[in-house]
Amino acid sequence: MSAAPLVDVKGLTVDFAGSAKPVRAVSGVDLTLAKGEVLALLGESGSGKTVTMRALMRLLPKSARIGGQVRVAGRDVLALAPDELAAMRGPVVSMVFQEPGIALDPVYRLGDQIAEAVMRHEGASRSQGRARALELFERVRIPSAARRLDNYPHEMSGGMRQRAMIALALSCHPKVLLADEPTTALDATVQIQILLLLRELQRELGLAVMFVTHDIGVAVEVADRIAVMYAGRIVETGSCARVVQAPQHPYTQGLLASRAGHVFAKGERLGTIPGSPPDLANPPPGCAFAPRCKVAEAICTKDLPREYQAEPGHVARCVRLAPAPATVAA
Amino acid sequence: MTLAVDLDDKDRGGPAQPLLSVAGLVKHFPVNRGLMGGARSVVRAVDGVAFEVAKRETLGIVGESGCGKSTTARLLMHIIAPDAGEILFDGEKVGTAALDLAGYRRQVQMVFQDSHASLNPRLTMEETVAFGPRVHGFSRAAALSRAHDLLHRVGLDPSRFAGRYPHEISGGQRQRVNIARALALRPRLLILDEPVSALDKSVEAQVLNLLLDLKDESGLTYVFISHDLNVVRFMSDRVMVMYLGKIAELGPAETILQNPRHPYTAALLASMPSMDPNNRTQEAPLMGDPPNPIDPPPGCRFHTRCKFAAPVCSAKEAPLGAVGLDHAVACLMAIPGSGHPLAPALASEAA
Repeated sequence: MSAAPLVDVKGLTVDFAGSAKPVRAVSGVDLTLAKGEVLALLGESGSGKTVTMRALMRLLPKSARIGGQVRVAGRDVLALAPDELAAMRGPVVSMVFQEPGIALDPVYRLGDQIAEAVMRHEGASRSQGRARALELFERVRIPSAARRLDNYPHEMSGGMRQRAMIALALSCHPKVLLADEPTTALDATVQIQILLLLRELQRELGLAVMFVTHDIGVAVEVADRIAVMYAGRIVETGSCARVVQAPQHPYTQGLLASRAGHVFAKGERLGTIPGSPPDLANPPPGCAFAPRCKVAEAICTKDLPREYQAEPGHVARCVRLAPAPATVAA
Repeated sequence: MTLAVDLDDKDRGGPAQPLLSVAGLVKHFPVNRGLMGGARSVVRAVDGVAFEVAKRETLGIVGESGCGKSTTARLLMHIIAPDAGEILFDGEKVGTAALDLAGYRRQVQMVFQDSHASLNPRLTMEETVAFGPRVHGFSRAAALSRAHDLLHRVGLDPSRFAGRYPHEISGGQRQRVNIARALALRPRLLILDEPVSALDKSVEAQVLNLLLDLKDESGLTYVFISHDLNVVRFMSDRVMVMYLGKIAELGPAETILQNPRHPYTAALLASMPSMDPNNRTQEAPLMGDPPNPIDPPPGCRFHTRCKFAAPVCSAKEAPLGAVGLDHAVACLMAIPGSGHPLAPALASEAA
């Protein structure tokens, strides 16, 4: 990696004040994303993966308080004025949502939705906008693209709608593409088509992509690096291959062991992680995973483990990786 | 558990008689097209499905959205009435004097995908589990005692969970309560419709293990519906693959997953993410989405997406035919002399 990363997040915290007890959904996330790199944020519901991603575009409800530092393509996102923020969304960062049926406007034709974004950001004419829309529809391989531009979202199947959503996200030549579970609502045979399309577009356009998913298999199909989130923190980061082949954090190890595709003998039981994720309004002290961890020690429930390096480029927040004698010296 | 009232859950036909036997099951839903009503058309949700479930086995049903797997579950449970076809439960026709619906539903219970929507928000966990036994004539004390036993069995300590309401527990815990409720009348058959799809992966494994344990302990029979082939393989003895309201392939789980004979089954398998970063999927096995079940393609319903499709496939529908021991497939390529160029020659021609 050469120059400054395209996305640089330091000490990101997100608190939701709204309800009786404030909830810290993200508590201190550091991450970087280089040009042309694909990072998968892997985690379960409530792990903070979607909130982290949305903080990059400040797409969070008003009740959210964002702390820390978020830099995207040289901009300090948390300091941007509303008009600067609007100008950034689209040409710098754009997003593909989980449910295209909800994210797309139901009362406008798809071609017009794309043209509108191009007109707004690039000062293009309507016909130029429509021409860009056609080009993009062909690019994301929507059959009979010219005719489909006049479709409303409900006239398309789920897979085609997600292709249209990707076309819309790419309409202003973003540098960073954020994808929030873009295939979770799709059938298996359609999911793989969309994953391959995203991989191809990423390579051809040199995009930096951040991909939120709960499915390790999906992460492996698209990502260069994987960051595993648990209870609002990144607990392990490494190359896709190393995280899957040599997971370091007990949570990652547990996730891999609990996959049903893993077991072949009849009657065998799956490896499980006991219990359920913590309530973020009442987070446990120390390592948030300690109450469910099979190898937890006394220290785990006291101090928050810092990141330790397992091998170059592969780190995990687990005290078992601490170099034994050095802890005293440091 | 010893209880004064015991329900009619006797094995009638012996181990060789299928517990569930379904023939010619059809369900079409009428839809109105266009604002003015227009011509009535129908969704052919389930269109002539026949299968059997042996005692103490797990039959997995897998397929994409619109394939009819959930409609099949609802038909089996008689939540909706079939347009045609019959269901035999241990040899008795369901809905007749020999086996009325109340008697059938004591022996067949269902667990739904949405653990929250399927629980009454105003009942505590013990009341939820005790509800069925109360309706079927148990005393309050006996029903509650059974509820506590069951909560304990599904891994929820009754002293902590009996008095809680659905919104006070997690999704995995709610699904455990749903399973406990389904077991409260000591059914012989459980229909599990995507029971783990809404759960996080780490919780999914706990619930799947629990289902296997309960089956071993109580000799239950499962119909297990999922869109996730990994989960179906893990749970099932036999697997039924559905496509647009019909059975594409049916056979032992290992046979189907290692040697699929229907191109759709093969494509479903190949569509699963690879889990090997050095050997990623390079080409999507299928193009496009599953077609709309309102206007299923003529002939073989899969021919519009099948890479082996021949002209005969759009003209002729393939019946479900045996291709091996307990293994059946609905594909013209498997039928000798079907007219498909890749079909084996007829025995008489070959001789």
